[in-house]
Amino acid sequence: MPSKSLLQRLVKWCPWLLRDEPKRPVKVLVTGAAGQIGYAVVAMIARGLMLGADQPVVLHMLDLPRSRDALNGVRMELIDAALPLLRGVVATSDEAEAFDGVNVAILIGGSPRREGMERKDLIAKNVPIYKSQAAALQKHAAPNCKVLVVANPANTNALVLKEFAPAVPAKNISCLTRFDHNRALGQVAQKLNVHVGDVKNAIIWGNHSSTQLPDASHGTAWTERGERPVRELIADETWLREEFVRTVQQRGAAVIKARGQSSSLSAASATCDHMRDWILGTPKGTWVSMGVYSDGSYSVPDGLFYSFPVTCEKGEWSVVQGLQIDDFARSKMEASASELMEEKTIAYEFL
Amino acid sequence: TFSERKVRDSWSIPEATDSRAPVAAGLNNGHPSRLVSPSSPPTVVVAAAAAASKPLVNPRFQNLLEAPSVTMAKEPMRVLVTGAAGQIGYALVPMIARGVMLGADQPVILHMLDIPPAAEALNGVKMELVDAAFPLLKGVVATTDAVEACTGVNVAVMVGGFPRKEGMERKDVMSKNVSIYKSQASALEAHAAPNCKVLVVANPANTNALILKEFAPSIPEKNITCLTRLDHNRALGQISERLNVEVSDVKNAVIWGNHSSTQYPDVNHATVKTPNGDKAVRELVANDEWLNTEFISTVQQRGAAIIKARKFSSAMSAASSACDHIRDWVLGTPEGTFVSMGVYSDGSYGVPAGLIYSFPVTCSGGEWTIVQGLPIDEFSRKKMDATAQELSEEKALAYTCLN
Repeated sequence: MPSKSLLQRLVKWCPWLLRDEPKRPVKVLVTGAAGQIGYAVVAMIARGLMLGADQPVVLHMLDLPRSRDALNGVRMELIDAALPLLRGVVATSDEAEAFDGVNVAILIGGSPRREGMERKDLIAKNVPIYKSQAAALQKHAAPNCKVLVVANPANTNALVLKEFAPAVPAKNISCLTRFDHNRALGQVAQKLNVHVGDVKNAIIWGNHSSTQLPDASHGTAWTERGERPVRELIADETWLREEFVRTVQQRGAAVIKARGQSSSLSAASATCDHMRDWILGTPKGTWVSMGVYSDGSYSVPDGLFYSFPVTCEKGEWSVVQGLQIDDFARSKMEASASELMEEKTIAYEFL
Repeated sequence: TFSERKVRDSWSIPEATDSRAPVAAGLNNGHPSRLVSPSSPPTVVVAAAAAASKPLVNPRFQNLLEAPSVTMAKEPMRVLVTGAAGQIGYALVPMIARGVMLGADQPVILHMLDIPPAAEALNGVKMELVDAAFPLLKGVVATTDAVEACTGVNVAVMVGGFPRKEGMERKDVMSKNVSIYKSQASALEAHAAPNCKVLVVANPANTNALILKEFAPSIPEKNITCLTRLDHNRALGQISERLNVEVSDVKNAVIWGNHSSTQYPDVNHATVKTPNGDKAVRELVANDEWLNTEFISTVQQRGAAIIKARKFSSAMSAASSACDHIRDWVLGTPEGTFVSMGVYSDGSYGVPAGLIYSFPVTCSGGEWTIVQGLPIDEFSRKKMDATAQELSEEKALAYTCLN
């Protein structure tokens, strides 16, 4: 009969002994890696917060030639951190080298909005960037590479990417609205005075812009009385349609006002959440928001990148079907779709 | 006002670990899962729920209860970060909130402290922490009041301090930091939880830690440490680059002494895991000249090299190393591995007692122990003595600033 301590040791080490062979490293590209969001996100990726603590990664970091020193500084810091999961770091300003063999691509690099810039100008500057990245993606990335576009205008950048990388399945390209989704959960949690982990199933519809619709009406929250619809707990349509929507939409500006800089920490965190849930799956009964290639669900025009509620399983996302859309939401969703159609038209002018 | 209410009794603590826990079960930075922590017995959730007249565990989490390696919900630990509105703080708080510091099954409540001019920025950080919807983060206190910040904290990471500005004399920097750490010492001593573990990051780290220790006599001296893990990790990184091996295969470098340019990065006891077993670094590198000169100066001056490249000092790697330091301290070092921590010297290795000096340590059961019996050659002895000398001088300088 084994001694108590031997048994204890066996029980303690069993999972470790029975573990699979170490996984092959996944190559993750981050563009704009010398910037604020890039700095925050590479640290999280290298700690396993995007792909799991048993998944080694090789980081590819891309930025402009003028940021070479700063990018190299980030590379030095990643080495200095002696991170067990980080199996390699490539820091480069060459697109081909950056995209070579990558399984996951986080596109943060883009032309930022400057003061006085019209949306049209922002689109004009980003179209050539995403056209060129599309070529590199199609040519050099690993098959089935999953892409997340963060740089604004995110939806339209994703569309340009998709159009110019026809060999890349449209379902493998997405844009980030998880950021606003997480903010929406946080606002509902604060309103209900519960922990954010107990709120789920908010939705962000549409364009990652001021026309986005944060929608908490299908959400649920776990309270003392069990799991209840948010609509019942916050029996205040006005709050849900106005203050809540406004707060989520303007949160970015509020953070800039307080910090003097835009949100990097929460953007990076949402980036990790988006990719992790996409690859590892959403928990049962929970959906998240992703900007994906519209298939016409909810009468949203197809051929746009539009944020929908999705569940993810086995590395694939699917739009949650059958949600009731009231008139208020319908008009907002249509407005956002119209804006996206306009952006698409503008983008094509510059191609 | 940013100076928010005390950490919320009203934040409900969910009845079980996060629904992501099966994935989180692996989220332990590559270390074998340490979900069953010896220090906190699992709470029996069902009984507690019945007692509190709350519903049973959220059915979303029900399937997790069958999984043998998942603990019941732990009580949150309170973690203080001072200087939280700064660069290192900004990199550190999301790591803490994601479980990188204390484990992916350990809920945390963050206390963030900074000075009044940074109050708005600090509130911005708090907003971002709320926006990120971290499942493990059970509360955030953002304040400029040291008492509120220190209340009930189990871990304190002191990043706040007075940075050296151009033209400043060493004495001036020392003087400013001494008064900061004297006052923080009182707040910690009076308000932190018993057995609070303290990590001083702000430079001059060793001497700030010493001042903290001197003015918080009821905090056990073994609970006050300073960060040299960053230099330790840098040393491992340099060796891994030189030998072209995985950094996780390199271990047991030692950083001796002061977290300054007199630190001594020592690889005489370091090994690399190879297919043929652990081999000594010195043997594999086969270049004593490099190990005794360039390697040492690279590690010593790495901070400056980062500033030159990034135009900012190392935030990410400092934050990451701070997490490593606390994690290994609280959860234990892996068998056969030692790490470097700045700890209160007991006279080991001929180092004067009464200084905070970086030694090789192992950790177990929440306690660190200096690794004894490592052979010290002539070259090392000189280096170790030089850095001890500098620390004694800093201590004397600090005391003149106090008087």
